[in-house]
Order: sequence, then structure tokens, then C-alpha cells
Amino acid sequence: MAEREEQLVLVEALDHLLDRGVVIAGEAVISIGNVDLLYLGLNIVLANVDAIIRVNSKDK
Amino acid sequence: MKSIAIGVHLRREDIEPLADAVPVAGLYLSAIAVADDQSLSDRDLLVRVTSTRAALLDRATFVAIRYGFSFRAGAEAEAKCAPQAARWKALLEEHRHRVEFTLKVAAPGSARPDRHDFKSGADYIRALHDARDATSIPASFREKVESAIVPIAVRHRWVRRDTTSVELAGLIERELLPRLAEAGESLKMTAPDVPFLLSAPWPLEVFAEE
Repeated sequence: MAEREEQLVLVEALDHLLDRGVVIAGEAVISIGNVDLLYLGLNIVLANVDAIIRVNSKDK
Repeated sequence: MKSIAIGVHLRREDIEPLADAVPVAGLYLSAIAVADDQSLSDRDLLVRVTSTRAALLDRATFVAIRYGFSFRAGAEAEAKCAPQAARWKALLEEHRHRVEFTLKVAAPGSARPDRHDFKSGADYIRALHDARDATSIPASFREKVESAIVPIAVRHRWVRRDTTSVELAGLIERELLPRLAEAGESLKMTAPDVPFLLSAPWPLEVFAEE
């Protein structure tokens, strides 16, 4: 997988990790260096036109 | 040491040895152990959790826990997870062979309001919501998505996350992932001017929320 595509997959995966899933009550909000990481990640993702589907582990 | 939770699973063998399996109310919590003083915002830790999460999903579908929940003892995790355990178990049994996908579409539309233009925080928040609600994607593209992607999904939901994008979240049988990929490629060909990103597989995230 090309380096650019690997980075895109990582950004997308981080976006899902930080912005999706059930929230356990009262837990921390993650902020890094006053940068809105989720918003930043989304912009990077949307700057690319592509479909990334990890059909099986060989594609990782 | 403390543990960082990743997801909720039906079976212990879906987790070990990729991560620690912590019993919680008849289910199992996947978690990784880190030092007490480890910052949750450490980049290497984020990448480690992300890769572990992907490896766990290759084993079996689980309910994703949003990053940030850490605990020091199983009893602490059990107390916080128990109220939702029955619902999670039903979800896991129903969707064991399914995964989520997301299609993010850039939506040029309303600009994000400038907070300095508002006298009160309430007005600013209201304007922010209005701007988000005004965000839309071209109707023709939405129709293409509805005809190419939606029929493959067991469930789907359009979600507006901010003022710059609209997202389709869906649940799909794992075995249909190649068909989803084909549909995404086809969508690229038929709508080359619309920036979008189709990604899968993901654990139960959007459809695990109440």
C-alpha cells in the first residue's frame, strides 16, 4: 500500500477511534496541544477522493 | 498500571492474546495495559490502540468504546459497563457477522459562524447548529449513493457531523465487503466531481449508540 494511502487509512482509523462508539459516562475528552484533532483529521480525509476498504487482513 | 478499554465482545477467545480480556456482566472488555502516568493523548499509544482495534475486528465484530475510558480494576469497569451490558449483548448477537461502513461526503455549504459575531454563547451555538443543518450534498449524488450503496446495507443512517460533511453510516454483512468496494469504485466513476471517502470495516460504532 502506498505511503499516502497508509496515512489516509491511519487518519481515518484515528477519527473512528476518537469520534465513534459508545461513550462510558464521565470519561475524558481527548485534546492534543489545543488542536481539534477530530476536525483536523476530517479535513485531511475529505481532501482525498478515494475508497479505502480493508477487505481482509492482507490489505492492511 | 491502568487499562485502556477498546471494545465489548461476546467471547474471550475473540480477544486473547491480542489484548487483555476483562469479564464484565457476562461479556468481555478488550483492553491494553499501560503505565499509570501514560498520557492518553500520546501518539504512539493512539496508534497502538488503533492497530489492536483493527486486529480485534478481524477476529469478530465488537461494540466499540470511544477512546478515553481507562480503569485500574475489573470491578471498576464492570460497574460502569453493567447498565448497558444487556443491550450490548443483544447487539453483538444480532450483528456478529456484520460490520459498519462509512461514506463521508464533502459538503460545500454554509460557512462555520464566527463566534465573535455573537453577543451570547447561546446565539453562537444556535447559529452553529443552523449551519450544520444547512449542510447538504448534491441530490444527484445522494440518489446514486441510495441506489448503489444503500441496497447492500442491512441498516443505514445519514449523519451530519459538522458544517463541512455529510456521512452515510451503514451496517453490512462481512461477506459483502467486496461488493461494497465495487460499489465504491463505481461511484467514483459515475460521480468524479464529488469528494467522498468510503471506508470499512468498522466495529459497531454508530449503530451501538442509543
